[in-house]
Amino acid sequence: MKAWLNFSPSIVSKTVISDLIKNFDVTFNILRADITPKGGKMLIEISGSEAEKGIKYMEKEGIQLNPIKKVVKKDEDKCMDCGECISLCPVKAIKMEEDWSVELDNQKCIGCGFCTTSCPTKAIKIAD
Amino acid sequence: MGLKYLDPTNIIISFLSEDYYYQKAPDVKKLKTIEEINQKIKDGNAVVVTAREMTRIVQENGAGKAAEEVDVVTTGTFGAMCSSGAFFNFGHSDPPIKMSRTYINGVEAYSGLAAVDAYLGATQPHRNPDIGLDYGGAHLLEDLIRGKEVELVAEAYGTDCYPRTDVHTFLSLENLNQATMINPRNCYQNYAAATNSTEETIYTYMGTLLPQMGNVSYSSAGELSPLLNDPYFQTIGLGTRIFLCGSQGYIIGEGTQHATEGERRNGVPVGSAGTLMLKGDMKKMDADYIRGATMPKYGPTLYVGAGIPIPVLNEEIARRTGVSDAEIACKIYDYGTPRRDRPAVMETNYEELRTGKIEINGNEVQTSPLSSFKKALEIAEELKKWIDNGEFFLTSPVENLPSSGFTVQPLEIKRPSIMVRDLKSKTAITARAEEAISEVARKMVDNNINHLPVVDHAGRLMGIVTSWDIAQAVAKDSQKLTEIMTKKVIVAMEDEPVEVIARRIDKHEISGVPIVDRNNLVKGMITAEDISRLICSQNNEEGD
Repeated sequence: MKAWLNFSPSIVSKTVISDLIKNFDVTFNILRADITPKGGKMLIEISGSEAEKGIKYMEKEGIQLNPIKKVVKKDEDKCMDCGECISLCPVKAIKMEEDWSVELDNQKCIGCGFCTTSCPTKAIKIAD
Repeated sequence: MGLKYLDPTNIIISFLSEDYYYQKAPDVKKLKTIEEINQKIKDGNAVVVTAREMTRIVQENGAGKAAEEVDVVTTGTFGAMCSSGAFFNFGHSDPPIKMSRTYINGVEAYSGLAAVDAYLGATQPHRNPDIGLDYGGAHLLEDLIRGKEVELVAEAYGTDCYPRTDVHTFLSLENLNQATMINPRNCYQNYAAATNSTEETIYTYMGTLLPQMGNVSYSSAGELSPLLNDPYFQTIGLGTRIFLCGSQGYIIGEGTQHATEGERRNGVPVGSAGTLMLKGDMKKMDADYIRGATMPKYGPTLYVGAGIPIPVLNEEIARRTGVSDAEIACKIYDYGTPRRDRPAVMETNYEELRTGKIEINGNEVQTSPLSSFKKALEIAEELKKWIDNGEFFLTSPVENLPSSGFTVQPLEIKRPSIMVRDLKSKTAITARAEEAISEVARKMVDNNINHLPVVDHAGRLMGIVTSWDIAQAVAKDSQKLTEIMTKKVIVAMEDEPVEVIARRIDKHEISGVPIVDRNNLVKGMITAEDISRLICSQNNEEGD
């Protein structure tokens, strides 16, 4: 599961993530993080037999968790299927389909934002 | 090998490359005429195929049979075409105005024409620097075609016959007397592919290019592209009716930078070559086939949808419309070199580029098209439908596009660029990595300088320290030069023009760069002060 974790200023100094990994059987991957003493956000992927328990633990510790289906969203009206974004994707999450339309794979996407800033028609946005 | 033993005819044969075979053949007997094809279109029995379908037909049945069977081949392209724009006529207000500065939705249109005429160019950025590149001429053209209302602001100096000095109103496409798209250079016959060998990401009209040749971008529609299907312009010229942004438009001659003498392979140019000047009526256009876009940190550009029908008059034309992506070569250039002549990295073809990856120096690199192949196919299909439905007829050009004698001349700067090596650079003052910070500080004071390149025993660049770094070292009580120096150093090469260095210094917000040679040996220092002094002395010379 992919999710945005929202950190309030009161918990940025707590070692929630390392405690989570020590105490639960979870596989945890940080895709993106922007956290300062004033709080911030982290995009993560979590799986494993105790993922549910782990999520409950994080919520109990004060991290607000928003599960997401889509890391990025493509506006189909704006996208003209040029393919400029394809070679910029570091995880090969964008590909040209057989009918030459451009498709994003949200499973692979890590939300780096390279495609969003490079799209000539600003058709791709990071989903909140 | 003694030349005298060679039979002269053999010499000629050995010099005949494959290209000779594909060169313009002597006039082949016409199988059919444009009038005959138009009659078939009228009768509803013309055979029309897209260039992509034609490639397979020629491969399977041969050009001779294809020429007998197929009447028209439709092509298509949907790519970024910066050299585009439109003439507008706004009509006269009462009292009337002779517009001298004109802004539509904040984008300036050139109005040094008659009173209420203006030309709006696609790459013109918004006049508000906060919007700048995000909304330009191209976006405005799309908005007009979408039927949106736009704001017109104009200023004038006022005359006896045109007393009004300003205008502020709103209008849409239907209110304009004319909105005539005139694109000075569209549909490049072929184009370079781009990569970037430098250490940093660069932003170009070929899109975002990742460091260390991290990606490749290309823009031609390959086997679907109009001018690659008629590479010697045997059917295309002034007056050819075409598909332009969903309407019926015209070719009004060769485009700017039209070139005919470049290198060819399989009969088609390897580089940019031929271009078209196009005309169309914006009021008849369809917003599905035009798009205002912004190349990040480069600027606005217009995606233009164009398709040209090629009448299959004989076997040679059939063979040329049968060209495949694999037969169309192009070169990958290093856009990391900000010069007119960029070095070619390698040659490839569109079949390879279209697989999405390519091998450069043993590394697999992802490729990106910049033009939409999906849209290009849609355009070729749409044009085919128009002809099938008897809504679109072919034209004989009044004059064919020139197919020889055109080259692109460079702009020679009469006052040549000053190269880094021409600058009167002081002898290189450097510090060794093991020197004490107090020693380095003294060197700076003694020589009255603020930058000091740090070198190894052989004089190779290791880092740079500034007087600010020294101040910080004192404040933080650092002892080692290697701790405080900047290790990732932006440098200048001796053979680079000073303008390029000025741009680099500005881009990185630094105050100077060391000059190094190919072996990374420090040759001197060039600072922002040196550059401003140079500009002052140049201006003084001009004043003399």
